[in-house]
Amino acid sequence: MAKLIINGVETECRDGVPVLQAALEMGLDVPHYCYHPGLSIVASCRLCLMEMKMKHPKTGELSWSPKLVPSCQTPARDGMEVRFDSEPVKRNQRNCMEFFLLNHPLDCPVCDQAGECYLQDYSYKFGEPTSRMVDQKYVNPKKDLGPHTLLYQDRCVMCTRCVRFADEIAGTGELCVTNRGSRAEIDVFPGKVLANPLQGNVVDICPVGCLLDKDFLFKQRVWHLQSADSICPGCATGCAIRVDQNNNVIYRLKPRYNPGVNDWWMCDEGRYGWKYAQSGERLRGPLMRRGEAVEPLDWLAAAGTVRFRISEIATERGANSVAVVLSPFMACEEAWLLATTIRRIAPEATLVCGPAPMVDQDQFFPDGANGNAKFTISKEKAPNRRGVERIIAALGGNTATFAEFCTQGAEGKFAGVWLSGGYPTEWVDKDLIKAAEKIQFMVLHDLFSSKLVDAAEIILPACPFSERSGSFMNAGGKIQPFDWAVNPPDGGKRDGQYLQDLAEITGLYQPAAIRAMMARQMPEFKTIHEAPEQPAHQH
Amino acid sequence: MSYETVLLRNVGVAGSQTLATYRARGGYQAAQKALTTMSIDDVVEEVKRANLRGRGGAGFPAGVKWTFLPKDRTVTYLCVNADESEPPTFSNRVLMEHDPHQLIEGIIIAGYATRATVAYIYMRAEFTEQFHILQKAIDEAYAANLLGKNILGGDYSLDCYIHRGGGAYVCGEETGLIESLEGKRGWPRIKPPFPAIEGLFRKPTVVNNVETLCNVPHIIERGADWFLGIGPEGSSGPKLFCVSGPVMRPGCYEWSMDITLRDLIEDKRFGGGMLPGRKVKAVFPGGISMGIVTGDELDMKMDFSDPGKYGLLGLGTAAAVVIDDSFDIRSVIRNVARFFSHESCGQCTQCREGTTWMYKMSDRLEAGLGRREDLDLLTEVSGNMGMMPGMSICGLSDGAAFAIKTIIKKFRGELEGYVGTENLDAVRIALEVVN
Repeated sequence: MAKLIINGVETECRDGVPVLQAALEMGLDVPHYCYHPGLSIVASCRLCLMEMKMKHPKTGELSWSPKLVPSCQTPARDGMEVRFDSEPVKRNQRNCMEFFLLNHPLDCPVCDQAGECYLQDYSYKFGEPTSRMVDQKYVNPKKDLGPHTLLYQDRCVMCTRCVRFADEIAGTGELCVTNRGSRAEIDVFPGKVLANPLQGNVVDICPVGCLLDKDFLFKQRVWHLQSADSICPGCATGCAIRVDQNNNVIYRLKPRYNPGVNDWWMCDEGRYGWKYAQSGERLRGPLMRRGEAVEPLDWLAAAGTVRFRISEIATERGANSVAVVLSPFMACEEAWLLATTIRRIAPEATLVCGPAPMVDQDQFFPDGANGNAKFTISKEKAPNRRGVERIIAALGGNTATFAEFCTQGAEGKFAGVWLSGGYPTEWVDKDLIKAAEKIQFMVLHDLFSSKLVDAAEIILPACPFSERSGSFMNAGGKIQPFDWAVNPPDGGKRDGQYLQDLAEITGLYQPAAIRAMMARQMPEFKTIHEAPEQPAHQH
Repeated sequence: MSYETVLLRNVGVAGSQTLATYRARGGYQAAQKALTTMSIDDVVEEVKRANLRGRGGAGFPAGVKWTFLPKDRTVTYLCVNADESEPPTFSNRVLMEHDPHQLIEGIIIAGYATRATVAYIYMRAEFTEQFHILQKAIDEAYAANLLGKNILGGDYSLDCYIHRGGGAYVCGEETGLIESLEGKRGWPRIKPPFPAIEGLFRKPTVVNNVETLCNVPHIIERGADWFLGIGPEGSSGPKLFCVSGPVMRPGCYEWSMDITLRDLIEDKRFGGGMLPGRKVKAVFPGGISMGIVTGDELDMKMDFSDPGKYGLLGLGTAAAVVIDDSFDIRSVIRNVARFFSHESCGQCTQCREGTTWMYKMSDRLEAGLGRREDLDLLTEVSGNMGMMPGMSICGLSDGAAFAIKTIIKKFRGELEGYVGTENLDAVRIALEVVN
């Protein structure tokens, strides 16, 4: 640890971190563009300059150096004294803001970044209200960089965060700077497009409205958005994300800082992979089959029916003729509630973990090697297989793999089955259908309609991640909590809530309360991994 | 005034570009002496003692620079800065064009002194003829075992390559040069680490200017004391001066650093006076980036310390461009501002935006649409950039700032006669017509 004095206040920070980082962690708002803690340091925006006490070369006396130094480039050392609140520092910030805005169009009213723009914020806080330039502005061109991203060069501050991201994190290096001076532009190298699996992050780290996401372009003013902290369900990496919604409609996902898991980043697959959550094709319910017809059912009756029918089957057909398939898209709390409820009704019920969709291999960035990967996209395209399997292992008793469940089901072993799905895409295969046809009473708890609907007696609509809350256990074994962002469509209910109702536990579903119960059996649920808050002025 | 020509002694000699002629005139004696009779430390010590100050512009002692290399290094690169792109400067060009072996000999000795295994000559893109001349000389040197494995039968081996630049002024800045050499965009690096610790390909690197290296063989051959005996204290050794503009004999001349700017322009051996009917109005004595002096300041000595007394940034490249009284100072300021606005690499905010702003203002000034406050604004903007106050990574913007600042300061009277537009709206309307 290094002890240093910033603005006259003594503070401690890890040795060698940039003074800028130490100042931000102290809560100071030090303006900066090019510095990003996840990228290399270029010290080119010259906005974070500070005054530093230096030894006089001859007398050895400590005094404020007349030369300003970039705080991002200066590592914190013990005994150092710096300041950001002096007139020379403020003057530089003022001048910088004037320079940044010389050729910047005043198009905030039509700019997507407005409201979360560091040109706006810094200009307001550190700049002057007017520009002294009377000459015509240069207008640098707009460009289409790839399938998802637009570049408004006239708004660029040339921090080169995007270029460094493509080089250092994505490892694809398709971005570059062309031309010089005020005419310098960000561009893709000839013949390339910005289409790497992590490219969406360049929009996040762009401190101004230069890089914009076509998916979000002109959809919402950001000040209308409300955010919920979530975990991306796209794969087993478990990136911490933020779901931005307005009036119950999701507009975008953004990564949250989560060191050791996704750092500051997320992949495009996750970023744009949430559209299914708002699909009109989702199952509505609950529904119940009566003969040929399928009729609506209310939630309370559904819970009662499920409890009654399962207990009836357990009595008539033997306690081991009941099975419950838990989905790797369920939160740990939901899976635990469901498994324990069914086990209470049918103590010998078989617990099964549903299939986790897999692709060939993990994707490591920047260079495809695992050793020093800065970001990993897991080959396992479900968020919580590990959590569900952990719960099944903890509960013990009869368990089966999904393949075993299908084989034994096809042989007619199971008469009463609760089948949870919740997959964003088609997941039902021939083996499962063969097994389902033999099941006398099936509760289908799923997101989309499939061939299983014909075999199910009770159909319960599941929620996507954006409407659930609880926790997922990621590939690294970290249990990460997530919150719901929007409400289920009309007539729907959050999975956690109706599973709690099914378990006949009164009150609102509170994941933390469920976790406390789980922790008696599984101590790892006592302390879960929450993504830390970044310093308020870090970006 | 008497002076023995050293650096340019082969210029004008028939076949001066060939190894045979160079050898016949005493060439490669110094390399022979250094590599066969002197230890590495001896060579470094001799150059250090000679106080050979860098000829590229900053004037940093070359021998001291060599001692910054870490003792335990395994690989060292020598970069030769031949990206001569400072306006009115062409002394490196003369050296490479007429006496390429002198440079190669300097490279061999400097390489030996720094234990470099590879020397890269970073050559200005526009030097086409010079490239072929130098490449031919390098080939000759290889064939004569002056480059390559076991030079002159000894243990030292050195490879030498020419890398041709892409045409950017900023690549003459040593770390911009290194980045460009690595195949990247020529954006100067942040320091530390300095090139001596982490330079080319992140290895210890020395970057020396062509003229600096051309001095090295002579120091080795004749000794540091001989070198120190030439010119004033602190600015010793032979020096090339360029003079251009409306003078009788524009060209590159060699002398010790005790001559004055007046000598350079008026002496028969150098500039030979102004063209008939012309009068000196102003001179950029050290390339445009060092700043300007007026016709009344011609007594400035062309050494490393005197220019500072005239408000200049330094001696720079010692290339004087003379401006006569037929020029409107507004066209000078515009031309200079345009150069820096065009050559700013775009990395640091103050330089990227400031140089362009200064260009726009001076352009308007020349068009007769200057406002009185523009002069103060130009001064202020130029004061808000540069490496010295900490606003940028490299010295390019110091150059831009000094050029503009000194013009405004020294020609304020003339400029004030031109500015008069007080009405901002009138300026805007006029500008819309212009644009």
